[in-house]
Amino acid sequence: MARFRKPLLLAAVLALILVCFFAPFLWIVSNSFKPQLGIFSDVTPISWRTFLPLDPVAENYRSLFARTNILHALLNTAIVAAGQVALTLLLCSMAAYALTRIKFRGSQAVFVLILLTFLLPVEALLVPLYQVVSGLGLSNTLTGIMIPWIASPFGLFLLKQAFEELPRDLEDAARIDGAGHLRIFVSVILPNVKVPLLTLGLVTFLFSWNSFLWPLVIAQSPDAQVIQVAIAQQGSPTQLPNWGETFAGATVATLPLILLFLLLQKYFTQGMAMSGIKG
Amino acid sequence: MTAIDAQGTVAAARARRTPRQKRDARVAYVFLAPFLFLLLLFQYVPLAMMAKNAFMDYSLLNPDAAKFVGLLNFSDMLYFDDARESLAATFLFALGVVAIVIPLGFALALFLDSKLPARGIVRTIIMLPVVTSAVVVATMWNFLLDPSNGLINGVVTAMGLPRQPFLTSPDQALVMIAIMTAWQQVGFAAILFLGGLQGVPKELAEAARIDGATKAQVLWNITIPLLSRTTLFVVVIMTVFSLQAFAPAFLMTDGGPRDSTNLIVYHIYKTAFVMQNAGYASALSVLLLVIVLGISLLQMWLLRARWNY
Repeated sequence: MARFRKPLLLAAVLALILVCFFAPFLWIVSNSFKPQLGIFSDVTPISWRTFLPLDPVAENYRSLFARTNILHALLNTAIVAAGQVALTLLLCSMAAYALTRIKFRGSQAVFVLILLTFLLPVEALLVPLYQVVSGLGLSNTLTGIMIPWIASPFGLFLLKQAFEELPRDLEDAARIDGAGHLRIFVSVILPNVKVPLLTLGLVTFLFSWNSFLWPLVIAQSPDAQVIQVAIAQQGSPTQLPNWGETFAGATVATLPLILLFLLLQKYFTQGMAMSGIKG
Repeated sequence: MTAIDAQGTVAAARARRTPRQKRDARVAYVFLAPFLFLLLLFQYVPLAMMAKNAFMDYSLLNPDAAKFVGLLNFSDMLYFDDARESLAATFLFALGVVAIVIPLGFALALFLDSKLPARGIVRTIIMLPVVTSAVVVATMWNFLLDPSNGLINGVVTAMGLPRQPFLTSPDQALVMIAIMTAWQQVGFAAILFLGGLQGVPKELAEAARIDGATKAQVLWNITIPLLSRTTLFVVVIMTVFSLQAFAPAFLMTDGGPRDSTNLIVYHIYKTAFVMQNAGYASALSVLLLVIVLGISLLQMWLLRARWNY
Protein backbone atom coordinates (compact mmCIF):
# COMPACT_ATOMS: atom_id res chain seq x y z
CA MET A 1 0.00 0.00 0.00
CA ALA A 2 2.05 2.84 -1.34
CA ARG A 3 -0.06 5.63 0.10
CA PHE A 4 0.40 4.24 3.61
CA ARG A 5 4.12 4.91 3.30
CA LYS A 6 3.42 8.50 4.12
CA PRO A 7 4.01 8.44 7.86
CA LEU A 8 1.46 11.15 8.56
CA LEU A 9 -1.37 9.18 6.99
CA LEU A 10 -0.24 6.06 8.80
CA ALA A 11 -0.32 7.91 12.11
CA ALA A 12 -3.81 9.17 11.34
CA VAL A 13 -5.08 5.67 10.54
CA LEU A 14 -3.48 4.30 13.70
CA ALA A 15 -5.02 7.07 15.77
CA LEU A 16 -8.44 6.32 14.28
CA ILE A 17 -8.13 2.62 15.08
CA LEU A 18 -6.99 3.47 18.59
CA VAL A 19 -9.90 5.86 19.15
CA CYS A 20 -12.52 3.51 17.72
CA PHE A 21 -11.45 0.32 19.47
CA PHE A 22 -9.68 1.45 22.59
CA ALA A 23 -11.30 4.72 23.69
CA PRO A 24 -14.62 3.09 24.73
CA PHE A 25 -12.74 0.72 27.05
CA LEU A 26 -10.73 3.61 28.48
CA TRP A 27 -13.91 5.62 29.03
CA ILE A 28 -15.58 2.75 30.93
CA VAL A 29 -12.59 2.02 33.15
CA SER A 30 -11.80 5.65 33.97
CA ASN A 31 -15.48 6.37 34.68
CA SER A 32 -15.57 3.49 37.12
CA PHE A 33 -13.24 5.62 39.27
CA LYS A 34 -15.35 8.79 39.08
CA PRO A 35 -18.38 9.98 41.01
CA GLN A 36 -21.61 10.23 39.02
CA LEU A 37 -21.50 14.00 38.50
CA GLY A 38 -17.89 13.81 37.36
CA ILE A 39 -18.84 11.35 34.62
CA PHE A 40 -21.54 13.66 33.30
CA SER A 41 -19.59 16.91 33.50
CA ASP A 42 -16.53 15.39 31.78
CA VAL A 43 -18.43 14.26 28.69
CA THR A 44 -19.39 17.67 27.30
CA PRO A 45 -17.23 19.34 26.22
CA ILE A 46 -15.16 16.30 25.31
CA SER A 47 -11.48 16.52 26.32
CA TRP A 48 -8.68 14.39 27.68
CA ARG A 49 -10.46 14.74 31.04
CA THR A 50 -13.20 12.51 29.63
CA PHE A 51 -10.81 9.58 29.55
CA LEU A 52 -8.80 10.12 32.74
CA PRO A 53 -9.95 10.05 36.36
CA LEU A 54 -8.15 13.05 37.86
CA ASP A 55 -9.35 12.40 41.41
CA PRO A 56 -9.90 8.65 41.39
CA VAL A 57 -12.39 7.33 43.94
CA ALA A 58 -12.99 3.68 44.88
CA GLU A 59 -16.57 4.38 45.96
CA ASN A 60 -18.14 2.64 42.93
CA TYR A 61 -16.24 -0.56 43.61
CA ARG A 62 -16.97 -0.39 47.34
CA SER A 63 -20.72 -0.11 46.80
CA LEU A 64 -20.64 -2.69 43.98
CA PHE A 65 -19.17 -5.35 46.23
CA ALA A 66 -21.21 -4.31 49.27
CA ARG A 67 -24.59 -3.86 47.61
CA THR A 68 -24.71 -6.59 44.95
CA ASN A 69 -23.80 -10.28 44.93
CA ILE A 70 -21.15 -9.73 42.27
CA LEU A 71 -18.44 -11.50 44.26
CA HIS A 72 -20.57 -14.62 44.54
CA ALA A 73 -21.35 -14.40 40.82
CA LEU A 74 -17.66 -14.14 40.00
CA LEU A 75 -16.95 -17.23 42.07
CA ASN A 76 -19.79 -19.11 40.34
CA THR A 77 -18.45 -18.11 36.94
CA ALA A 78 -14.95 -19.25 37.82
CA ILE A 79 -16.26 -22.64 38.98
CA VAL A 80 -18.42 -23.09 35.86
CA ALA A 81 -15.61 -22.06 33.52
CA ALA A 82 -13.02 -24.28 35.23
CA GLY A 83 -15.37 -27.27 35.28
CA GLN A 84 -16.39 -26.74 31.69
CA VAL A 85 -12.79 -26.47 30.50
CA ALA A 86 -11.66 -29.59 32.40
CA LEU A 87 -14.58 -31.77 31.28
CA THR A 88 -14.53 -30.51 27.68
CA LEU A 89 -10.83 -31.32 27.37
CA LEU A 90 -11.33 -34.75 28.92
CA LEU A 91 -14.37 -35.85 26.89
CA CYS A 92 -13.23 -34.37 23.59
CA SER A 93 -9.74 -35.85 23.80
CA MET A 94 -11.10 -39.29 24.72
CA ALA A 95 -13.53 -39.21 21.81
CA ALA A 96 -10.84 -37.90 19.44
CA TYR A 97 -8.53 -40.72 20.52
CA ALA A 98 -11.14 -43.36 19.70
CA LEU A 99 -11.87 -41.81 16.31
CA THR A 100 -8.25 -41.38 15.23
CA ARG A 101 -6.21 -44.13 16.90
CA ILE A 102 -8.58 -47.12 17.00
CA LYS A 103 -10.02 -48.91 13.96
CA PHE A 104 -13.53 -50.13 14.68
CA ARG A 105 -16.82 -50.71 12.92
CA GLY A 106 -19.19 -47.80 13.08
CA SER A 107 -16.55 -45.11 13.46
CA GLN A 108 -17.76 -43.43 10.27
CA ALA A 109 -21.36 -43.40 11.52
CA VAL A 110 -20.30 -41.92 14.86
CA PHE A 111 -18.30 -39.25 13.08
CA VAL A 112 -21.27 -38.26 10.89
CA LEU A 113 -23.49 -38.13 13.99
CA ILE A 114 -21.10 -35.61 15.54
CA LEU A 115 -20.53 -33.75 12.27
CA LEU A 116 -24.26 -33.05 11.90
CA THR A 117 -24.49 -31.25 15.26
CA PHE A 118 -21.92 -28.81 13.95
CA LEU A 119 -24.63 -27.29 11.78
CA LEU A 120 -27.16 -26.81 14.59
CA PRO A 121 -27.53 -23.21 15.76
CA VAL A 122 -27.45 -23.50 19.55
CA GLU A 123 -29.84 -20.59 20.14
CA ALA A 124 -32.56 -22.42 18.19
CA LEU A 125 -32.45 -25.28 20.72
CA LEU A 126 -32.95 -22.95 23.70
CA VAL A 127 -36.53 -23.91 24.61
CA PRO A 128 -36.25 -27.74 24.40
CA LEU A 129 -32.81 -27.62 26.05
CA TYR A 130 -34.37 -25.74 28.96
CA GLN A 131 -36.96 -28.50 29.26
CA VAL A 132 -34.32 -31.27 29.18
CA VAL A 133 -32.03 -29.65 31.74
CA SER A 134 -34.76 -28.53 34.11
CA GLY A 135 -36.38 -31.96 33.69
CA LEU A 136 -33.14 -33.45 35.02
CA GLY A 137 -33.51 -31.22 38.09
CA LEU A 138 -30.50 -29.13 37.11
CA SER A 139 -32.09 -25.69 36.85
CA ASN A 140 -30.48 -23.15 39.18
CA THR A 141 -27.36 -25.28 39.50
CA LEU A 142 -23.84 -24.66 38.22
CA THR A 143 -23.87 -28.15 36.66
CA GLY A 144 -26.93 -27.17 34.64
CA ILE A 145 -25.12 -24.12 33.28
CA MET A 146 -22.13 -26.05 31.95
CA ILE A 147 -23.34 -29.56 31.14
CA PRO A 148 -24.98 -29.02 27.70
CA TRP A 149 -21.75 -27.65 26.20
CA ILE A 150 -19.22 -30.22 27.39
CA ALA A 151 -19.65 -32.57 24.41
CA SER A 152 -18.40 -29.87 22.07
CA PRO A 153 -18.26 -30.83 18.38
CA PHE A 154 -15.80 -27.96 17.83
CA GLY A 155 -13.51 -29.32 20.53
CA LEU A 156 -13.64 -32.77 19.03
CA PHE A 157 -12.73 -31.49 15.55
CA LEU A 158 -9.87 -29.39 16.83
CA LEU A 159 -8.36 -32.30 18.75
CA LYS A 160 -9.12 -34.86 16.04
CA GLN A 161 -7.10 -32.77 13.62
CA ALA A 162 -4.22 -32.54 16.10
CA PHE A 163 -4.28 -36.27 16.85
CA GLU A 164 -4.25 -37.16 13.15
CA GLU A 165 -1.02 -35.26 12.68
CA LEU A 166 0.81 -37.43 15.22
CA PRO A 167 2.88 -40.21 13.56
CA ARG A 168 1.91 -43.85 14.14
CA ASP A 169 5.46 -44.78 15.23
CA LEU A 170 4.83 -42.82 18.39
CA GLU A 171 2.44 -45.39 19.81
CA ASP A 172 3.83 -48.45 18.01
CA ALA A 173 6.85 -48.60 20.31
CA ALA A 174 4.61 -48.32 23.35
CA ARG A 175 2.31 -51.04 22.00
CA ILE A 176 5.22 -53.44 21.47
CA ASP A 177 6.12 -52.82 25.09
CA GLY A 178 2.63 -54.04 25.94
CA ALA A 179 0.92 -50.73 26.71
CA GLY A 180 -2.87 -50.70 26.40
CA HIS A 181 -5.02 -47.94 24.93
CA LEU A 182 -5.43 -46.10 28.22
CA ARG A 183 -1.64 -46.02 28.76
CA ILE A 184 -1.02 -44.87 25.18
CA PHE A 185 -3.72 -42.20 25.47
CA VAL A 186 -2.43 -40.77 28.74
CA SER A 187 1.34 -41.06 28.39
CA VAL A 188 1.95 -41.03 24.63
CA ILE A 189 -0.78 -39.03 22.90
CA LEU A 190 -1.78 -36.34 25.42
CA PRO A 191 1.78 -35.08 26.13
CA ASN A 192 2.19 -34.47 22.39
CA VAL A 193 -0.88 -32.27 21.93
CA LYS A 194 -0.32 -29.69 24.67
CA VAL A 195 -0.77 -26.69 22.38
CA PRO A 196 -4.10 -27.83 20.87
CA LEU A 197 -5.31 -28.66 24.40
CA LEU A 198 -4.30 -25.18 25.60
CA THR A 199 -6.00 -23.58 22.59
CA LEU A 200 -9.23 -25.49 23.14
CA GLY A 201 -9.07 -24.76 26.87
CA LEU A 202 -8.79 -21.03 26.23
CA VAL A 203 -11.61 -20.89 23.70
CA THR A 204 -13.82 -22.93 26.03
CA PHE A 205 -12.97 -20.62 28.94
CA LEU A 206 -13.83 -17.56 26.85
CA PHE A 207 -17.09 -19.09 25.67
CA SER A 208 -18.05 -20.15 29.19
CA TRP A 209 -17.10 -16.89 30.91
CA ASN A 210 -18.99 -14.79 28.35
CA SER A 211 -22.09 -16.94 27.89
CA PHE A 212 -25.30 -15.15 28.76
CA LEU A 213 -28.55 -16.39 27.20
CA TRP A 214 -28.31 -19.95 28.51
CA PRO A 215 -27.38 -19.01 32.13
CA LEU A 216 -30.11 -16.35 31.98
CA VAL A 217 -32.84 -18.93 31.35
CA ILE A 218 -31.50 -21.88 33.35
CA ALA A 219 -30.05 -20.18 36.47
CA GLN A 220 -31.99 -17.12 37.59
CA SER A 221 -31.69 -17.63 41.35
CA PRO A 222 -29.11 -15.39 43.05
CA ASP A 223 -27.27 -18.46 44.37
CA ALA A 224 -26.47 -19.82 40.92
CA GLN A 225 -26.11 -16.53 39.07
CA VAL A 226 -23.04 -16.06 36.88
CA ILE A 227 -21.28 -12.77 36.24
CA GLN A 228 -22.87 -11.93 32.88
CA VAL A 229 -26.39 -12.36 34.27
CA ALA A 230 -25.48 -10.37 37.39
CA ILE A 231 -24.15 -7.35 35.49
CA ALA A 232 -26.98 -7.52 32.95
CA GLN A 233 -29.35 -6.92 35.85
CA GLN A 234 -27.55 -3.77 36.85
CA GLY A 235 -29.65 -2.09 34.24
CA SER A 236 -29.49 0.57 31.59
CA PRO A 237 -28.71 4.27 31.97
CA THR A 238 -32.37 5.20 32.24
CA GLN A 239 -33.29 2.59 34.83
CA LEU A 240 -30.30 2.94 37.05
CA PRO A 241 -28.98 6.24 38.32
CA ASN A 242 -25.57 4.88 39.26
CA TRP A 243 -23.40 4.84 36.16
CA GLY A 244 -20.11 4.44 38.02
CA GLU A 245 -21.20 1.24 39.73
CA THR A 246 -22.29 -0.29 36.41
CA PHE A 247 -18.94 0.63 34.88
CA ALA A 248 -17.16 -0.93 37.85
CA GLY A 249 -19.18 -4.12 37.29
CA ALA A 250 -18.32 -4.20 33.59
CA THR A 251 -14.65 -3.69 34.44
CA VAL A 252 -14.61 -6.47 37.01
CA ALA A 253 -16.40 -8.86 34.62
CA THR A 254 -13.99 -8.18 31.75
CA LEU A 255 -10.62 -7.74 33.44
CA PRO A 256 -9.85 -11.45 34.05
CA LEU A 257 -10.45 -12.29 30.38
CA ILE A 258 -8.47 -9.34 29.05
CA LEU A 259 -5.51 -10.26 31.25
CA LEU A 260 -5.67 -13.88 30.13
CA PHE A 261 -5.92 -12.72 26.53
CA LEU A 262 -2.90 -10.43 26.81
CA LEU A 263 -0.86 -13.22 28.40
CA LEU A 264 -1.76 -15.94 25.89
CA GLN A 265 -2.72 -13.88 22.86
CA LYS A 266 -1.15 -16.19 20.29
CA TYR A 267 -3.17 -19.24 21.37
CA PHE A 268 -6.33 -17.20 21.79
CA THR A 269 -6.12 -15.84 18.26
CA GLN A 270 -5.34 -19.28 16.87
CA GLY A 271 -8.29 -20.77 18.68
CA MET A 272 -10.64 -17.99 17.59
CA ALA A 273 -9.52 -18.44 13.99
CA MET A 274 -10.23 -22.16 14.22
CA SER A 275 -13.55 -21.64 15.99
CA GLY A 276 -14.61 -19.92 12.79
CA ILE A 277 -15.27 -23.41 11.52
CA LYS A 278 -18.23 -23.53 13.87
CA GLY A 279 -19.57 -20.10 13.08
CA MET B 1 -5.79 -78.24 -2.28
CA THR B 2 -3.78 -75.09 -2.38
CA ALA B 3 -6.93 -73.03 -2.83
CA ILE B 4 -8.52 -74.63 0.21
CA ASP B 5 -5.31 -74.16 2.14
CA ALA B 6 -5.17 -70.51 1.26
CA GLN B 7 -8.81 -70.05 2.26
CA GLY B 8 -8.13 -71.84 5.50
CA THR B 9 -5.20 -69.54 6.24
CA VAL B 10 -7.26 -66.43 5.53
CA ALA B 11 -10.09 -67.71 7.68
CA ALA B 12 -7.64 -68.55 10.43
CA ALA B 13 -6.07 -65.10 10.16
CA ARG B 14 -9.49 -63.53 10.37
CA ALA B 15 -10.32 -65.64 13.40
CA ARG B 16 -7.02 -64.66 15.00
CA ARG B 17 -7.67 -60.98 14.40
CA THR B 18 -11.18 -60.98 15.68
CA PRO B 19 -10.71 -60.98 19.46
CA ARG B 20 -8.31 -58.07 19.27
CA GLN B 21 -10.66 -56.18 16.94
CA LYS B 22 -13.55 -56.87 19.25
CA ARG B 23 -11.55 -55.65 22.21
CA ASP B 24 -10.51 -52.54 20.26
CA ALA B 25 -14.12 -51.80 19.36
CA ARG B 26 -15.11 -52.13 23.00
CA VAL B 27 -12.34 -49.78 24.08
CA ALA B 28 -13.32 -47.32 21.36
CA TYR B 29 -16.92 -47.18 22.54
CA VAL B 30 -15.84 -46.80 26.16
CA PHE B 31 -13.73 -43.81 25.11
CA LEU B 32 -16.61 -42.37 23.10
CA ALA B 33 -19.43 -43.15 25.52
CA PRO B 34 -19.41 -40.02 27.73
CA PHE B 35 -19.15 -37.70 24.73
CA LEU B 36 -21.84 -39.47 22.73
CA PHE B 37 -24.17 -39.72 25.72
CA LEU B 38 -24.05 -35.97 26.35
CA LEU B 39 -24.27 -35.23 22.62
CA LEU B 40 -27.44 -37.30 22.27
CA LEU B 41 -28.96 -35.92 25.47
CA PHE B 42 -28.25 -32.24 24.80
CA GLN B 43 -28.36 -32.01 21.00
CA TYR B 44 -30.43 -34.80 19.47
CA VAL B 45 -33.06 -35.13 22.22
CA PRO B 46 -33.81 -31.35 22.21
CA LEU B 47 -33.89 -31.41 18.42
CA ALA B 48 -36.53 -34.14 18.43
CA MET B 49 -38.48 -32.39 21.20
CA MET B 50 -38.45 -29.14 19.28
CA ALA B 51 -39.81 -30.85 16.16
CA LYS B 52 -42.64 -32.30 18.24
CA ASN B 53 -43.35 -29.23 20.35
CA ALA B 54 -43.78 -27.04 17.29
CA PHE B 55 -47.13 -28.80 16.82
CA MET B 56 -48.19 -28.36 20.45
CA ASP B 57 -49.75 -25.64 22.55
CA TYR B 58 -48.15 -25.51 26.00
CA SER B 59 -46.33 -23.42 28.56
CA LEU B 60 -42.99 -24.06 30.24
CA LEU B 61 -44.64 -23.70 33.64
CA ASN B 62 -46.70 -26.82 32.96
CA PRO B 63 -45.28 -28.69 29.95
CA ASP B 64 -47.23 -31.86 30.78
CA ALA B 65 -50.51 -30.18 29.88
CA ALA B 66 -49.42 -29.82 26.25
CA LYS B 67 -52.16 -30.01 23.65
CA PHE B 68 -51.65 -31.11 20.02
CA VAL B 69 -52.71 -28.30 17.70
CA GLY B 70 -51.45 -29.48 14.33
CA LEU B 71 -50.14 -26.73 12.10
CA LEU B 72 -51.75 -23.92 14.11
CA ASN B 73 -48.42 -22.45 15.29
CA PHE B 74 -47.19 -22.29 11.71
CA SER B 75 -50.41 -20.79 10.37
CA ASP B 76 -50.25 -18.23 13.22
CA MET B 77 -46.78 -17.38 12.03
CA LEU B 78 -48.19 -16.55 8.60
CA TYR B 79 -51.33 -14.87 9.92
CA PHE B 80 -49.77 -12.52 12.47
CA ASP B 81 -47.07 -10.03 11.62
CA ASP B 82 -44.66 -10.70 14.50
CA ALA B 83 -42.60 -13.48 12.88
CA ARG B 84 -42.32 -11.67 9.56
CA GLU B 85 -41.35 -8.38 11.23
CA SER B 86 -38.88 -10.06 13.54
CA LEU B 87 -37.23 -11.93 10.66
CA ALA B 88 -37.11 -8.75 8.57
CA ALA B 89 -35.40 -6.87 11.43
CA THR B 90 -32.99 -9.78 12.00
CA PHE B 91 -32.01 -10.04 8.33
CA LEU B 92 -31.60 -6.28 8.05
CA PHE B 93 -29.43 -6.39 11.15
CA ALA B 94 -27.31 -9.25 9.73
CA LEU B 95 -26.99 -7.44 6.41
CA GLY B 96 -25.80 -4.30 8.19
CA VAL B 97 -23.24 -6.22 10.25
CA VAL B 98 -21.87 -8.04 7.18
CA ALA B 99 -21.78 -4.86 5.07
CA ILE B 100 -19.59 -3.15 7.69
CA VAL B 101 -17.49 -6.10 8.82
CA ILE B 102 -16.38 -7.44 5.42
CA PRO B 103 -14.69 -4.34 3.94
CA LEU B 104 -13.28 -3.13 7.27
CA GLY B 105 -12.14 -6.60 8.33
CA PHE B 106 -10.44 -7.04 4.97
CA ALA B 107 -8.72 -3.64 5.20
CA LEU B 108 -7.48 -4.42 8.70
CA ALA B 109 -6.20 -7.80 7.53
CA LEU B 110 -4.26 -6.10 4.69
CA PHE B 111 -2.74 -3.80 7.29
CA LEU B 112 -1.82 -6.72 9.58
CA ASP B 113 -0.34 -8.61 6.61
CA SER B 114 1.85 -5.65 5.60
CA LYS B 115 5.25 -4.73 6.96
CA LEU B 116 4.05 -1.49 8.54
CA PRO B 117 4.92 -0.54 12.10
CA ALA B 118 2.52 -0.97 15.04
CA ARG B 119 0.94 -4.10 13.55
CA GLY B 120 1.21 -5.91 16.87
CA ILE B 121 -0.60 -3.20 18.79
CA VAL B 122 -3.38 -2.98 16.22
CA ARG B 123 -3.79 -6.74 16.28
CA THR B 124 -4.17 -6.70 20.07
CA ILE B 125 -6.51 -3.70 20.15
CA ILE B 126 -8.96 -4.96 17.53
CA MET B 127 -9.21 -8.27 19.41
CA LEU B 128 -10.22 -6.61 22.70
CA PRO B 129 -13.91 -6.27 21.73
CA VAL B 130 -13.87 -9.86 20.40
CA VAL B 131 -12.91 -11.31 23.78
CA THR B 132 -15.27 -8.99 25.66
CA SER B 133 -18.68 -10.47 26.40
CA ALA B 134 -21.80 -9.44 24.50
CA VAL B 135 -23.27 -8.25 27.82
CA VAL B 136 -20.38 -5.92 28.60
CA VAL B 137 -20.31 -4.63 25.02
CA ALA B 138 -24.06 -3.97 25.11
CA THR B 139 -23.76 -2.26 28.52
CA MET B 140 -20.83 -0.19 27.30
CA TRP B 141 -22.70 0.94 24.18
CA ASN B 142 -25.86 1.61 26.16
CA PHE B 143 -23.91 4.33 27.91
CA LEU B 144 -21.90 5.39 24.86
CA LEU B 145 -25.21 5.97 23.06
CA ASP B 146 -27.04 7.64 25.95
CA PRO B 147 -28.90 10.65 24.53
CA SER B 148 -27.87 13.13 27.23
CA ASN B 149 -24.58 12.02 28.79
CA GLY B 150 -23.21 9.46 26.32
CA LEU B 151 -19.73 9.71 24.87
CA ILE B 152 -20.92 9.52 21.26
CA ASN B 153 -23.27 12.45 21.70
CA GLY B 154 -20.32 14.19 23.34
CA VAL B 155 -18.42 13.73 20.07
CA VAL B 156 -21.47 14.69 18.00
CA THR B 157 -21.97 17.96 19.87
CA ALA B 158 -18.22 18.69 19.78
CA MET B 159 -18.54 18.59 15.99
CA GLY B 160 -21.36 21.14 16.21
CA LEU B 161 -24.16 18.70 15.31
CA PRO B 162 -27.45 18.26 17.19
CA ARG B 163 -27.75 15.50 19.80
CA GLN B 164 -29.10 12.22 18.41
CA PRO B 165 -31.71 9.97 20.08
CA PHE B 166 -29.99 6.73 18.86
CA LEU B 167 -31.61 3.81 20.69
CA THR B 168 -34.91 5.57 21.35
CA SER B 169 -35.47 6.28 17.66
CA PRO B 170 -37.17 3.60 15.52
CA ASP B 171 -35.04 4.75 12.58
CA GLN B 172 -31.69 4.64 14.37
CA ALA B 173 -31.87 1.80 16.91
CA LEU B 174 -31.32 -1.12 14.52
CA VAL B 175 -28.51 0.72 12.72
CA MET B 176 -26.82 1.43 16.05
CA ILE B 177 -26.90 -2.16 17.30
CA ALA B 178 -25.63 -3.33 13.89
CA ILE B 179 -22.73 -0.87 14.13
CA MET B 180 -22.04 -2.05 17.68
CA THR B 181 -22.03 -5.73 16.67
CA ALA B 182 -19.79 -4.96 13.68
CA TRP B 183 -17.45 -3.09 16.03
CA GLN B 184 -17.27 -6.16 18.23
CA GLN B 185 -16.76 -8.69 15.42
CA VAL B 186 -14.52 -6.86 12.96
CA GLY B 187 -11.33 -8.04 14.69
CA PHE B 188 -12.49 -11.62 14.38
CA ALA B 189 -13.17 -11.12 10.66
CA ALA B 190 -9.73 -9.53 10.26
CA ILE B 191 -8.06 -12.57 11.84
CA LEU B 192 -9.95 -14.90 9.49
CA PHE B 193 -9.06 -12.76 6.45
CA LEU B 194 -5.44 -12.65 7.62
CA GLY B 195 -5.38 -16.46 7.63
CA GLY B 196 -6.64 -16.39 4.04
CA LEU B 197 -4.13 -13.74 2.97
CA GLN B 198 -1.23 -15.72 4.39
CA GLY B 199 -2.36 -18.72 2.35
CA VAL B 200 -2.18 -16.80 -0.94
CA PRO B 201 1.08 -17.56 -2.75
CA LYS B 202 3.19 -14.40 -3.02
CA GLU B 203 4.67 -15.41 -6.42
CA LEU B 204 1.54 -14.44 -8.33
CA ALA B 205 1.51 -10.91 -6.97
CA GLU B 206 5.27 -10.57 -7.47
CA ALA B 207 5.05 -11.77 -11.07
CA ALA B 208 2.23 -9.30 -11.78
CA ARG B 209 4.26 -6.48 -10.21
CA ILE B 210 7.25 -7.33 -12.42
CA ASP B 211 4.92 -7.24 -15.44
CA GLY B 212 4.04 -3.68 -14.49
CA ALA B 213 0.75 -4.04 -12.60
CA THR B 214 0.06 -1.39 -9.97
CA LYS B 215 -0.53 -2.39 -6.36
CA ALA B 216 -4.21 -1.53 -6.73
CA GLN B 217 -4.46 -3.78 -9.80
CA VAL B 218 -2.79 -6.65 -7.95
CA LEU B 219 -5.19 -6.20 -5.04
CA TRP B 220 -8.28 -6.03 -7.24
CA ASN B 221 -7.37 -8.64 -9.88
CA ILE B 222 -5.33 -11.16 -7.91
CA THR B 223 -5.68 -10.93 -4.13
CA ILE B 224 -9.43 -10.37 -3.87
CA PRO B 225 -10.42 -13.12 -6.38
CA LEU B 226 -8.06 -15.57 -4.69
CA LEU B 227 -9.69 -14.79 -1.36
CA SER B 228 -13.23 -15.50 -2.55
CA ARG B 229 -13.44 -18.71 -0.51
CA THR B 230 -12.31 -16.94 2.65
CA THR B 231 -14.70 -14.07 1.97
CA LEU B 232 -17.67 -16.39 1.53
CA PHE B 233 -16.64 -18.17 4.73
CA VAL B 234 -16.49 -14.91 6.70
CA VAL B 235 -19.81 -13.73 5.24
CA VAL B 236 -21.50 -16.97 6.34
CA ILE B 237 -19.96 -16.89 9.83
CA MET B 238 -20.98 -13.29 10.39
CA THR B 239 -24.48 -13.89 9.02
CA VAL B 240 -25.09 -16.96 11.16
CA PHE B 241 -23.65 -15.18 14.19
CA SER B 242 -25.86 -12.11 13.61
CA LEU B 243 -28.99 -14.22 13.12
CA GLN B 244 -28.42 -15.55 16.65
CA ALA B 245 -27.78 -12.19 18.35
CA PHE B 246 -29.65 -11.72 21.61
CA ALA B 247 -27.90 -9.43 24.09
CA PRO B 248 -28.39 -6.13 22.15
CA ALA B 249 -32.16 -6.54 22.00
CA PHE B 250 -32.39 -7.77 25.59
CA LEU B 251 -30.11 -5.20 27.19
CA MET B 252 -30.42 -2.11 25.01
CA THR B 253 -33.79 -1.82 23.34
CA ASP B 254 -36.22 -4.47 24.67
CA GLY B 255 -36.84 -5.18 20.98
CA GLY B 256 -38.12 -1.64 20.45
CA PRO B 257 -38.79 1.08 19.68
CA ARG B 258 -41.92 -0.15 17.89
CA ASP B 259 -40.43 -3.66 17.49
CA SER B 260 -37.72 -2.28 15.18
CA THR B 261 -35.03 -4.35 16.95
CA ASN B 262 -37.10 -7.40 17.84
CA LEU B 263 -34.39 -9.88 16.78
CA ILE B 264 -35.61 -13.44 16.25
CA VAL B 265 -33.78 -15.05 19.20
CA TYR B 266 -35.07 -12.31 21.52
CA HIS B 267 -38.55 -12.89 20.10
CA ILE B 268 -38.24 -16.64 20.77
CA TYR B 269 -36.98 -15.94 24.31
CA LYS B 270 -39.85 -13.58 25.09
CA THR B 271 -42.48 -15.85 23.55
CA ALA B 272 -41.29 -18.91 25.51
CA PHE B 273 -40.14 -17.51 28.83
CA VAL B 274 -42.15 -14.32 29.29
CA MET B 275 -45.40 -14.93 27.41
CA GLN B 276 -45.20 -18.68 28.22
CA ASN B 277 -46.23 -19.69 24.72
CA ALA B 278 -43.61 -22.40 24.26
CA GLY B 279 -45.35 -24.14 21.36
CA TYR B 280 -45.25 -21.03 19.22
CA ALA B 281 -41.65 -20.38 20.33
CA SER B 282 -40.75 -23.91 19.19
CA ALA B 283 -42.27 -23.23 15.77
CA LEU B 284 -40.23 -20.01 15.55
CA SER B 285 -37.13 -22.00 16.57
CA VAL B 286 -37.78 -24.51 13.78
CA LEU B 287 -37.91 -21.60 11.36
CA LEU B 288 -34.59 -20.22 12.66
CA LEU B 289 -33.03 -23.69 12.47
CA VAL B 290 -34.16 -24.18 8.87
CA ILE B 291 -32.80 -20.76 7.86
CA VAL B 292 -29.40 -21.33 9.48
CA LEU B 293 -29.16 -24.88 8.09
CA GLY B 294 -30.06 -23.53 4.67
CA ILE B 295 -27.27 -20.96 4.83
CA SER B 296 -24.74 -23.57 6.01
CA LEU B 297 -25.74 -26.02 3.27
CA LEU B 298 -25.60 -23.27 0.65
CA GLN B 299 -22.09 -22.47 1.82
CA MET B 300 -21.03 -26.12 1.60
CA TRP B 301 -22.53 -26.34 -1.90
CA LEU B 302 -20.76 -23.17 -3.04
CA LEU B 303 -17.46 -24.37 -1.60
CA ARG B 304 -17.81 -27.92 -2.96
CA ALA B 305 -15.41 -27.32 -5.86
CA ARG B 306 -11.94 -26.74 -4.54
CA TRP B 307 -10.71 -24.24 -7.07
CA ASN B 308 -7.03 -24.27 -6.34
CA TYR B 309 -4.31 -21.86 -7.16
